Amino acid sequence: MRKRLAGLAALLGVFSLGGGVARAENITFWTWRQEDKGAYNKLFAEFTTAHPGIHVRFRAFPPAQYQTIVSTALAGGKGPDVLHTRAYGGLEQLATPGYLVELTPQNDPELANLPASARAALAVRSTGKIYSFAFSSQTLGILVNRQILAAAKVPEPGTWAEFIAACKAIKAAGKICIANGTATGWMDEVLAGDLTGPMLGKQFFKDVVAGKTTFKDPAYTAALGRLLALRPYMPPGYTGIDYPTAQQLFLSGRAAMFIGGSWEIANFRRQNPKLAMDFMAPPAPAANRPRLVSTFYDGGYAVVHASKHQQAALALVRFMGTKTFGDQLGAMLGDVSPIKGVKLADPTLAKVAAMASESVPYIMAVSFRYENPTGSELLQGALQKMFAGSMTPEQVGATVTEGIARYYKPFQGK
Amino acid sequence: MTERRLAWQLLLGANAVIMILPLLVMLLSATRTNAEIFASPLGLPTRAALANVVKVWQETDFPLYLANSVIVTTGSVAAILVFGTMAAYALARYRFRGAGAVYLFFVAGLMLPLKLAIIPLFIQLDTLHLLDTRLGLILVYVAMGLPSAVFILTGFLRTLPGELEESARLDGACELMVMLRIMLPLARPALVIAGIQNAVPIWNDFFFPLVILTSDRLKTLPQGLTIFMGEFNTDWGVLFAGLTLAALPITLVYIALSRQFIAGLTQGAIK
Amino acid sequence: MTRRRPLPPKVRRGLWVACLLAPAAAVMTLFVVVPVLGAFADAFRSFQGPRPTGWVGLANLRDVLFVAPYAAATWRALGHNIVVLLSLMVVQNGLAYLIAFALLKALPGHRVHQVIVFLPVVLSAIVVGILWKLLLNPIFGAVNETLALIGIQGLPWLGDARTALGSIIAANAWHWMGFPALIFLAAMQRIPREALEAARIDGATDRVLLARIIWPLVAPATTIVVVLTFIGSFNWFELPYVMTGLEGSPGGATDVLGLLFYRTAFGAVSSGLEDFGHGSALAVLMFVVVAAVSAVALRVLRAREIEL
Repeated sequence: MRKRLAGLAALLGVFSLGGGVARAENITFWTWRQEDKGAYNKLFAEFTTAHPGIHVRFRAFPPAQYQTIVSTALAGGKGPDVLHTRAYGGLEQLATPGYLVELTPQNDPELANLPASARAALAVRSTGKIYSFAFSSQTLGILVNRQILAAAKVPEPGTWAEFIAACKAIKAAGKICIANGTATGWMDEVLAGDLTGPMLGKQFFKDVVAGKTTFKDPAYTAALGRLLALRPYMPPGYTGIDYPTAQQLFLSGRAAMFIGGSWEIANFRRQNPKLAMDFMAPPAPAANRPRLVSTFYDGGYAVVHASKHQQAALALVRFMGTKTFGDQLGAMLGDVSPIKGVKLADPTLAKVAAMASESVPYIMAVSFRYENPTGSELLQGALQKMFAGSMTPEQVGATVTEGIARYYKPFQGK
Repeated sequence: MTERRLAWQLLLGANAVIMILPLLVMLLSATRTNAEIFASPLGLPTRAALANVVKVWQETDFPLYLANSVIVTTGSVAAILVFGTMAAYALARYRFRGAGAVYLFFVAGLMLPLKLAIIPLFIQLDTLHLLDTRLGLILVYVAMGLPSAVFILTGFLRTLPGELEESARLDGACELMVMLRIMLPLARPALVIAGIQNAVPIWNDFFFPLVILTSDRLKTLPQGLTIFMGEFNTDWGVLFAGLTLAALPITLVYIALSRQFIAGLTQGAIK
Repeated sequence: MTRRRPLPPKVRRGLWVACLLAPAAAVMTLFVVVPVLGAFADAFRSFQGPRPTGWVGLANLRDVLFVAPYAAATWRALGHNIVVLLSLMVVQNGLAYLIAFALLKALPGHRVHQVIVFLPVVLSAIVVGILWKLLLNPIFGAVNETLALIGIQGLPWLGDARTALGSIIAANAWHWMGFPALIFLAAMQRIPREALEAARIDGATDRVLLARIIWPLVAPATTIVVVLTFIGSFNWFELPYVMTGLEGSPGGATDVLGLLFYRTAFGAVSSGLEDFGHGSALAVLMFVVVAAVSAVALRVLRAREIEL
């Protein structure tokens, strides 16, 4: 009898708890990923099935204005309940002033699903505290049009020399080899990071982050210098070719390769499903060296401190940390979730994930985007000048090093 | 004499060509896909010319956004013109102490970067419970538009001859009547200029609605169209279609108002 | 108990003027002046993301004026703004003056022309920027395709450091020329017809008419156009932002103060970080310079109006 009463009490307890959750709660998710509305709404519907009563509203902003809108809302004590954040310095500038809720193994056990590097990318460096759950790992490589390569009778170039030879053959066949231009700053950084990664190797990145060397290092400037050899194989008027134009050159089959990242795979498939597209690692500097891809984490999901529904928001972030969620991100959006053991049905994505297991960090994003002027900003402008011929690779290295030295002690006086 | 007329006719003709050709490219682009726009911007559409318009219609709440934009823009411009004319009239037609300072206060407003102040502005609107309201957005636009309206209208009102005003006063008309009946009708072209100059940026703005409005039912047209600006892929054709549609109402308003000019033009025509 | 006396006319007039000024002044104070002064105060603060962390005195101002790498960007951007101002003054406003005169002649079709001149003005800067970017595209662009017809090899206009700024200025002139044209036209219409007829009878050519008779009579309109162009050139933002990006590509060749301060304050998308301290410092400097120059220019131009 007593047992029964206790059971009843427990049942009532569960019931009342359940009642608490069942009271309709509306939470909001903000993102810059306008393209992903459909997929997220589907995933949020699944979340609501698992957590009856919690409804999630998806709100996307134009990427160019996202940061401004988020900062304004957070500084004004408003904002969403769950926020799609950038990683690294972009996260730190919101987490350090206390706008986000710290994620711990207690409030978010799903953190254990992430590799250490993904947790670190969304943590504040000085404290090591994690504030956002990594959602996507990106890999820099080369998107190739298999058809054009076959028509020009060139095999996949494995070394830099083969890469240049392939470009020569493709140009002779009347096609543009490399779709990229230099008019869009962030794409220049992608191009340089992507292709110089294997030339520099893992040790250089460790040394530069430790301050043992700088971007004035002859190894670095020599790597930049080799990029200049690509100019004849870029589109005519490449200084005026911006990101959308480069995309269309590749998508329309006028250019054989697009130096970019794994985020383009799903994007390009959507725009031209018929394209014989593949993803390959950048060429190795020499035959006996590895073809290393560069990787970085794109961002994550965070709980906003000012949220009036922190528990519901945490529940959503935990849901976003499950393997099934990661699987679906890959299936629906082509995002490579860093969650351990996610299944990537798409063979190209699976290939990308395999490449990423042995990689170098995308240096500026991972290590020099924490203070102003960021390594990225310094490098982008200087690269445009280098490709236009008004700056030498040595001057690029010096500009970047001196800009970073403003706040980075190891570079000072070097 | 005729040769001279020909030269001016040619200038207008050349100008018309330069003005219109890019607009044609815009209209063409509004009917095409990304791939087509980038393959040859001058080509003709290859599919239903209205496919992009249909997409805009299906994926946004176009009529609602249009209505919101009309409310916000007309509300803002009306307030700008009424308040702006009042202030400009005071500055242009009366001598009073501190007039110079007041004038500079308004002109200084032209140079203040309100985008920089978005965080204090946001907090200010929150304090006044104006976040996520049309009134809040309208007040921001009015505050932004007043300086240029006051500046333009003061400049025009100043040049009106004083005799009319004086004779009306001598006839016993009160100040309000002098202003409404005598002076303002003469300033019509200036009102049109100030109105259009403010209406265009307000009609086209999506930054302030993105920050201030959160409810779907309040969204303005340019704000609604931002869904086509993606991170890695922007649908240019659809964006052009939407923005061209969005430009239509204000173009029609201008064409209607341009009679205000033409009426005066034929009177003052020179040979 | 005092009997209410009618207010003396001077006080009444004062109240009337105050009533005319009050609504405009109130709205502007609440929603522009107070927030912007708040933002200006940030010029003297340090920040962590959007949150102020303390006062730093004049350090931010010193940085943007004298300390590398901020200072170099500031002066370069200022130089570009001056180029923009002078070009727009000559090209955009000069053309507008001529077009206004041509419209004034009420030639056949002037109604249509008046509408056409103003059509681009109603477009948003976003559309104009995207449109001209397409037209100037080195591979697909209509401009280079047209040049190729007459045997000229076009340039990558927006990618070449020598032509990028000029191209955006041209797009701006295309977009906005109708506006000064309309202001000039409105002013020209108010010139008494007799004055122009008399000059004609004395044998004045169009050139003389434009330079000697009309120019002084439209002085108030010129004041408006000059001051608005000046302020517009120094707050130039949207068109370069759409056409060459927040960082003023290529390599800063189109960087202007508007882009610089926005980029500094809010951070370049994904590659930069927020820095409201330095961003506000730039904005304060811009305001001080523009306000000072405008005040002087207004004084000179007003004196000229009276003189002429």
